[in-house]
Amino acid sequence: MMIAAYGLSKFFPVRGAFRATTSLKAVDDVGLKIQNEQVVGLVGESGSGKSTVGRCLIRLLNPTDGEVLFDVPDSELAEYEKARAAGATERVDAIADRFSLLRRSTSELRAVRRLVNIVFQDPYSSLNPRMKLSTIIGEPMISTRFCTRAEADIRARELLGEVGLPEFFEDRYPHELSGGQRQRVAIARAISTNPKLLILDEPTSALDVSVQAQILNLLRGLREKYGMSMLLITHNIAVVAYLAEYVYVMYAGKIMEWGAKGKVLRDPQHPYTKALMSSVPVIGETRTRSILRGDPPNLISPPLACRFHPRCPVAFEVCGWSPEEVAEDLEFLVGGKYYGTFGDGVRLTVEGDRTIIIQGTTEVQKIQELVDLEKEDVRSLKSIQAIDVADGATSVRLHEAIEPEMYPSPDGREVKCLLFRLDASAPAAMAPRSAG
Amino acid sequence: MSDALAIRDLHVQFHTRRGVYKALNGVDLGLRRGEVLGIAGESGCGKTTMGLAVMSLLPRNASIPRGQVIFDNKDLVNLPREYAERVGDRFKPKEHERILRRVGKALARIRGRRISMVFQEPMTSLNPVLSIGFQVAETVYVHDPALLARRVLARSKTTPQIMREVLTLLGATQGGEAALRKFAADHDLVGLEEQVLFVWRREDVHISRKEKAIRSLAGQSMKPWERKIIETVAKSGSIPPQFARVPVLSKLVRRILLKEGSRKARELLTSLGIHHAERVVKMFPHELSGGMRQRVVIAIALANNPEIVIMDEPTSAVDVTVQAQILELVKQIRTSVSASFIVISHDLAVLAEVSDRIAIMYAGRIVEVAPTAEILHHPLHPYTQMLISAIPTLEGKSVEGIKGEVPDMRAPPGGCAFHPRCPFAFEKCNSVVPIDFRQGDDQLVACWLYEGK
Repeated sequence: MMIAAYGLSKFFPVRGAFRATTSLKAVDDVGLKIQNEQVVGLVGESGSGKSTVGRCLIRLLNPTDGEVLFDVPDSELAEYEKARAAGATERVDAIADRFSLLRRSTSELRAVRRLVNIVFQDPYSSLNPRMKLSTIIGEPMISTRFCTRAEADIRARELLGEVGLPEFFEDRYPHELSGGQRQRVAIARAISTNPKLLILDEPTSALDVSVQAQILNLLRGLREKYGMSMLLITHNIAVVAYLAEYVYVMYAGKIMEWGAKGKVLRDPQHPYTKALMSSVPVIGETRTRSILRGDPPNLISPPLACRFHPRCPVAFEVCGWSPEEVAEDLEFLVGGKYYGTFGDGVRLTVEGDRTIIIQGTTEVQKIQELVDLEKEDVRSLKSIQAIDVADGATSVRLHEAIEPEMYPSPDGREVKCLLFRLDASAPAAMAPRSAG
Repeated sequence: MSDALAIRDLHVQFHTRRGVYKALNGVDLGLRRGEVLGIAGESGCGKTTMGLAVMSLLPRNASIPRGQVIFDNKDLVNLPREYAERVGDRFKPKEHERILRRVGKALARIRGRRISMVFQEPMTSLNPVLSIGFQVAETVYVHDPALLARRVLARSKTTPQIMREVLTLLGATQGGEAALRKFAADHDLVGLEEQVLFVWRREDVHISRKEKAIRSLAGQSMKPWERKIIETVAKSGSIPPQFARVPVLSKLVRRILLKEGSRKARELLTSLGIHHAERVVKMFPHELSGGMRQRVVIAIALANNPEIVIMDEPTSAVDVTVQAQILELVKQIRTSVSASFIVISHDLAVLAEVSDRIAIMYAGRIVEVAPTAEILHHPLHPYTQMLISAIPTLEGKSVEGIKGEVPDMRAPPGGCAFHPRCPFAFEKCNSVVPIDFRQGDDQLVACWLYEGK
């Protein structure tokens, strides 16, 4: 196994002038594995934490929590996972001491830096404008003591040829190059120390399609020639489809689904993946897409339980609805569409973390009718467990939320959605919802 | 039927310290009435420059040596060009201020009112220190104060009795809306009908609440002298100089009309699918998400019922799920608004979804124009063919890059600008600029391969 991450989290502290320090949960409990010579795609919208995952994996950022094992034999990895599941701390530590990137000191990391490298998103800001190309490409070889300065110069020339640039470019400066050429230089720099793992952080998003195609073909060629593992971080799903073998889909700091490329892209299971795939415009195809309402959540106070539930078209009772969310929707309906039934004077207040008090009406029957009529469209209403009358007010009690985990599906992928939790015991009960 | 907009042989140059940058080299393009025309091309091919040229928003260092942009039988680039010729190389503030103001005034009659533009970055095209409601209201206030004045007046003249009649009209099983329009015209209440219909058409509100909201529109209170001023504005179509010159009066007019504009903003935003628009108009741009900002910018562009809307990369700053929302919105707008659209994008798949015809640009020229289906399935120009085969798909089909680089537009290649990268190029391509050849029913291609075919 090239690299394996367990429970990786990165919280960034957020300080405000008038409020206590809180944290932005950019990456929360992410697990990810890359086999030797495998290309893994990590897709997600901007702000979903995919770049942070890439940086945490190779310790350009120090994760808040979690473990990253690098270049670990499969047998040891299996033992590690078993020990971790059983809670055998000593055994876990023993293996982690040998393979964990997070337990390496700075000087030990330097040796690792030879084996992992990264291509950054923006080729206009990731190359030092005051260095010649030969210096840029040679820098990692010298700093990781891969070879001497003289050898580095020779190798830089070879590498320019390798990425499809003429050798006389070695004396040029980055500003003389176009975007595509710069990205080629960045790739040459990244492969200069013969790394085993290459992290590609949005390698083509700053480029035009015609140049993007050139770079994609270059990456494909390099991979076949050197057999590197790659982590391809991108928001462009078509790019992943072109290069990767496995796909991880991220949303709001969590992995939502992962599996073999063909399965995840062609037959997505998680409602988010489904919506994401249907949002991608495809030439020569008009399709019915599921349009997501709203925008990705704020990660300082993310939604409860499943982070996708407020936008999910098939969310149900236990997905994590908070009384605030339910009260807002209920208020909107009572004051708008159902104004004729309830009239003025209905007030909703949230009490505790599972109860809403409705003042001004005690007509449980009518509220129940409203809920039954609307709950297929307004999904938050599904979370209403019981409606009672007490002391002249109506109290609405919600279901308790369940935190989703990665549920394995029979075809080898894992999906973080409660729809798949009961698959083994009661698939029939859940099937209609997933069809919706 | 004549075109809504015709661009003829348009050339635009930018004078920079490093030489003259020939951004557009003879663009010929017609925008038909009611259509959505997509413009695709790589970065640096002049898509945005073309949009800016149509809007006469080119920076000072740009010049238009040749070409016309015909809109409503007028040449839009003539005025700025005349100005540029008079100014010459050096801008002398004192001498040229007057000409500049005259040009600006003449352009303002069209720009922003009859032709409007959605700019590339919703983040930077909104003013961060002004509220959303104000920014939408301002566009209407500047271009069409009479509309706002009519709306205020109509409300102030309406009595509960009139509103009861209005509601009976609407309650009729059919023809309610047409009857309402006629009623408003007959009773000198123009401006009322759109406010009433906005409430009436909402689907998420119970009918009794709608009726209540419509009744509450009646009887806007107004002092007699305020009414007099507003009536003058409504009649003259602009803010007359006798008010504009007196600070107290101009401020008063401004206050009343901008307040009304904010009401109109609420209606506009709601119609573009923003929930709780009454809250959103009080917010500032940083409080909105990317998708919301894009909707606000679109609302500003649509505020004056323009005849042409130019959208420059409307979806390139947003995520794919939000992009899907915006694309659906654009499709919905084009059925509800009687305007022609130009949508500029580097993403052919986005254009394929919304446009009727697509024009492909390369090095400042249109190389191919055709209906969407034709251009995607039977591309004729070698550049179009290669561009389409460079787009990766979800199926992971092999992609092919275009060899070489986009030409340096300070010294573009002679003949067809694409010939250095074109696999089919022959001698003629190096020396003679290709003209448009008509292929099939409605496909134009600028390539010598199609000469005589």
